[in-house]
Amino acid sequence: MLETIVSALPDLMVANAAPLLVVVPLILAGICVFTPNGRTAWGLTILGSVSSFLCALILLLQVGTYGVVSYHLGGFAPPLGIEFRVDGLNVLFLLLVTGMGVLAAVFSWPTVAAEIRVEKHRLFYAAHLICFTGLAGVAITGDAFNLFVFLEISSISTYVLVALGGTRDRRALPAAFNYLIMGTIGATFFVIGVGFLYAATGTLNMVDMAERLAVIDAGNRAVVAGFAFIMVGLGVKAAIWPLHQWLPNAYAYAPSFVTMFLSATATKVAIYAVVRFGFTVFAPEYTFETLNITYVFGPLAMIAMLVCSFQAVFQTDMRRMLAYSSVAQVGYMLLGIAIGTSAGLSAGLFHLVNHGLMKGALFMAVAGVVLTYQGTRISDFAGLGRAAPLTMTAFAIAGLSLIGMPLTAGFQSKWYLLQAMLDGGWGLAAVVVVASSFLAVIYMGRVLQAVFFQAPVNPRKIRREAPALLLIPLWGLTLATLYIGVQADWVIDLVQAAAQASFVPGGGIR
Amino acid sequence: MTSHHVILRVVSKLLMPVIVVYAFYVQFHGDYGPGGGFQAGVILAVSVILYALVFGVPEALRAVPARFAASLAAIGLLLYAGVGVWAMLNGGAYLDYDFLVEDVPGGHKGQHLGILLIELGVLCTVSGSMLTIFYAFAGRVTEIRDEDW
Amino acid sequence: MSPEALILTVLFIPLLTVMAIFVVKSIPDLREAATLMGAISLFGAVIWLVAGLGNGPVELVLGQAAPGLVFAFKLEPLGALFALVASGLWIINSFYSIGYMRGNRERNQTRFYICFALALFGAMGVAMAGNLFTLFVFYEVLTLSTYPLVAHKGDANAQRGAQIYLMTLLGTSIGLFLVAVVWTSSLGGSLDFVPGGLLAGKIGPVEASILLLLFAFGIGKAALMPFHFWLPNAMVAPTPVSALLHAVAVVKAGVFAILKVAIYIFGADLLSTTPATDWVLGVACFTIIVSSLIALTKDNLKARLAYSTIGQLAYVTAGAMLANEAGFLGGSMQIAAHAMGKITLFMCAGAIYVATGLTNISDMRGLGKRMPWVFGAFFVASLSIIGVPPLAGGWPKFQLLLGAFEGGHGYVAWVLLFSSLLNIAYLLPIPILGLMPPKGTPDPAPYKRPEGAPRFVVMAPVVTAAGTLVLFFLMGQIADFLAPAMGGI
Repeated sequence: MLETIVSALPDLMVANAAPLLVVVPLILAGICVFTPNGRTAWGLTILGSVSSFLCALILLLQVGTYGVVSYHLGGFAPPLGIEFRVDGLNVLFLLLVTGMGVLAAVFSWPTVAAEIRVEKHRLFYAAHLICFTGLAGVAITGDAFNLFVFLEISSISTYVLVALGGTRDRRALPAAFNYLIMGTIGATFFVIGVGFLYAATGTLNMVDMAERLAVIDAGNRAVVAGFAFIMVGLGVKAAIWPLHQWLPNAYAYAPSFVTMFLSATATKVAIYAVVRFGFTVFAPEYTFETLNITYVFGPLAMIAMLVCSFQAVFQTDMRRMLAYSSVAQVGYMLLGIAIGTSAGLSAGLFHLVNHGLMKGALFMAVAGVVLTYQGTRISDFAGLGRAAPLTMTAFAIAGLSLIGMPLTAGFQSKWYLLQAMLDGGWGLAAVVVVASSFLAVIYMGRVLQAVFFQAPVNPRKIRREAPALLLIPLWGLTLATLYIGVQADWVIDLVQAAAQASFVPGGGIR
Repeated sequence: MTSHHVILRVVSKLLMPVIVVYAFYVQFHGDYGPGGGFQAGVILAVSVILYALVFGVPEALRAVPARFAASLAAIGLLLYAGVGVWAMLNGGAYLDYDFLVEDVPGGHKGQHLGILLIELGVLCTVSGSMLTIFYAFAGRVTEIRDEDW
Repeated sequence: MSPEALILTVLFIPLLTVMAIFVVKSIPDLREAATLMGAISLFGAVIWLVAGLGNGPVELVLGQAAPGLVFAFKLEPLGALFALVASGLWIINSFYSIGYMRGNRERNQTRFYICFALALFGAMGVAMAGNLFTLFVFYEVLTLSTYPLVAHKGDANAQRGAQIYLMTLLGTSIGLFLVAVVWTSSLGGSLDFVPGGLLAGKIGPVEASILLLLFAFGIGKAALMPFHFWLPNAMVAPTPVSALLHAVAVVKAGVFAILKVAIYIFGADLLSTTPATDWVLGVACFTIIVSSLIALTKDNLKARLAYSTIGQLAYVTAGAMLANEAGFLGGSMQIAAHAMGKITLFMCAGAIYVATGLTNISDMRGLGKRMPWVFGAFFVASLSIIGVPPLAGGWPKFQLLLGAFEGGHGYVAWVLLFSSLLNIAYLLPIPILGLMPPKGTPDPAPYKRPEGAPRFVVMAPVVTAAGTLVLFFLMGQIADFLAPAMGGI
């Protein structure tokens, strides 16, 4: 089926899929500024994300055929020129980001129209497209400094997007400012780290860097410092505990659409960068044996899973609760990565994909409620099971997936995580995984009970569903969650290919 | 306009064309020496900012409207990306300047044109963004009055 | 129909019933007819399926959810017994539900019937599960589908009870059971139910002990102390739901899973060499005695029955932990015998509640004169639970005693005997005082409804009480039928 879709696309697009994936949304962002109204800008946004998604499909096919797709920007050959390099690992993330981008774009219009002032619609979509460009760019580039540039492109536009929530709730402004400070520090750390590596190796191309790192003495201070700076910097972006402090407020007060899109993509892309550096730029042997990153990431991940799930239990605001849950879920992914085995990495990546789907669905449903009932407190959700059954059923399914119920995607990835833990002899980590799942039962159960069994605060006689534009992508995600729950082979194939690609080194450090 | 700060106004009036010319010097000299779109864009924006500082933001807005500044940023972006796509449409890689124009083998016409256009795009975007940021801060009206805090 | 197709049919009938109920939800008569049709056809299909079992075990692989996670179904005698009990009692329970729900004018009846059918779907899946993964999945389906039933009334009390129900069952299943399942797959290389034990010879005593404890306490539906408290708390549910929980599906699925794990995952040999087997056996015995003692103190009829269930379930766990053929057999028989007896008791309690609104035992003295059928049925079922021949409950106790002596666990026999005494003490006074109140007892409260309990509500327990008698004579055949599953010992 993939071949049929790809063969129907123009040759130019197939040949230049890698740059077009990034450039089309960028150009459309520029055009958005000149559109007469927000609706046109919305159309352009959909166009941009669909085109990127198609490019990602093309790349998926090409990676399947050639293994690695390398595109030399400007015709300058790497390592001097900038290279877009797609392998089994990042094609997964490209698919996730662009796929979620399409669904997010489709669903955005009703909530953007309701939450953003009308004269800002065009610029809002322009900022969103730039953010999208940045995230896709991080995932596609093969150049360490270029990665930093794209990271900043996405981050700066994200600050703007979060701040636009100020129309609805003024607290978005300090949240955005907080995020700006934290994010900038993170980016600075990252670029300092890249600087150290450049000093040690004299190159910025990641493959070249890996080859040169392989022959540098393992005790080299510049390399160790570079590694540490990079991981801390990315840790801020990925909201790894305790560097997550920006996230709950940013998610809680940003416009609904932004929260949904970011939760499904932004931290995921940062985790991609962690994997990229931890496994391919630095060889796994260096990361896990010489530096023993396991004993840094493992405990942090476990603390995140426990502490943030625990915090989620006590939240009264729905989006804050889901935000804390996100930090805890980042812990799951990090735990998978921290094991340092192929099984663990693929389990972590599998959970990452699934979490993108289900958190996206949850935030979409919340956006629907914000739209129809103007409330984000959990008490506002009481009794909505009757008032908005379609929205809330999707919400419930995604919520059960978050808990890890069988027949949902969340169960599958938790299963793989647990198996990787037990196979690796990580009994304690397995205990933490189930303890955190149990906390998820409590915080999601509380919400679901309010939704389906409590009387509404003020009786709502009229049935008010979210608009169809919102319901279609919402149910798309929900059905995907269920589908992966009963048939996950193809996702497993993807994540296993990704994990394998991560273990193909540019070399290993002695 | 008030009549004080006469010296300041006269001097800045004199300086302004110089600043603009210098901006373009940096811009075009970027091909051969230090310089380029980033620096030139900032210098160009500075000329307008100086004008706004001396003559007031409303005056500056009359000369360079905020909408124009924002559009300038977008135009620069489109110019940059457009050059890349143009090269791609001509059969080259994205941003491969050699494919911009027909040329004899081994010629560098395309390279010249490409870097010129790209730097022009950078100039537009940087100056446009600088001005937009400046206007956003300088032109901001307090939405909550001081006594309401 | 081929046996494979029959398995699918058995799974799909409850789902079709759900759809049918949903389609005709606005017409109560049709809706209830759909439930009955579903129940009867399910029972028919299960009988058909079981009848064909003589030709060898039936297997069906539906496909894999992910590498290593296969949806497989395999009907073997133990599962067949559970499927028969659950589907058979669903018919009677449906009749009873109709009478009860209408008699009490309950709200949200459509949701009730839909969730009920879904619960049966879960129970059928558990019964026919071909590997531990499938069993786990359907176990959770059962948990989730019964949650709305427990919360049915929707008031604060019901919500609290339902919350405890859900938290305990999900907590234990995710926290312990799931870990045990994943670990089993990691140690055993697969999750299939293997006669003689999947893990036999593959793990040492320490691992086996930890795993066994994870299973025994993780399968929270088996209500082993200290994870028993969800069951009394679930008493807030309407009586047909209590019957479903206690007799038809839920707790039975729990002890069934324990038996399956004991027989097919551990196997008798590994089990008898695992140190933790003795501990779990001790916990089961403790549960048997303590729950019976607690039952004695309860005046609320349903609460007393709930604690009685906890004790009776521990019989099955104890049987599994005896790790010999008689123990397994006794445990399996107890599933059927207890189901028949306990559903009767609950339906009687419900009948009394519908007719008079009474829930406390002390208020029921002399009520038997007005409701002779109900109290008669209660009496018979009590005797069956106690284990008096010729009623169904006699056989499993006999087998368990055999197993206890055979396995050298003499103290278990004493526990069983003492427990029977306690059963007498907490069950028999109810019907006896109801039918023959001491002189000077004031007349019980009048009927809440002028016509007394609806016909269905009275007839159903009478039928099942008679069933306990019939089951006694069928037990021999059931034992022969089950023997191959317990074989290899």
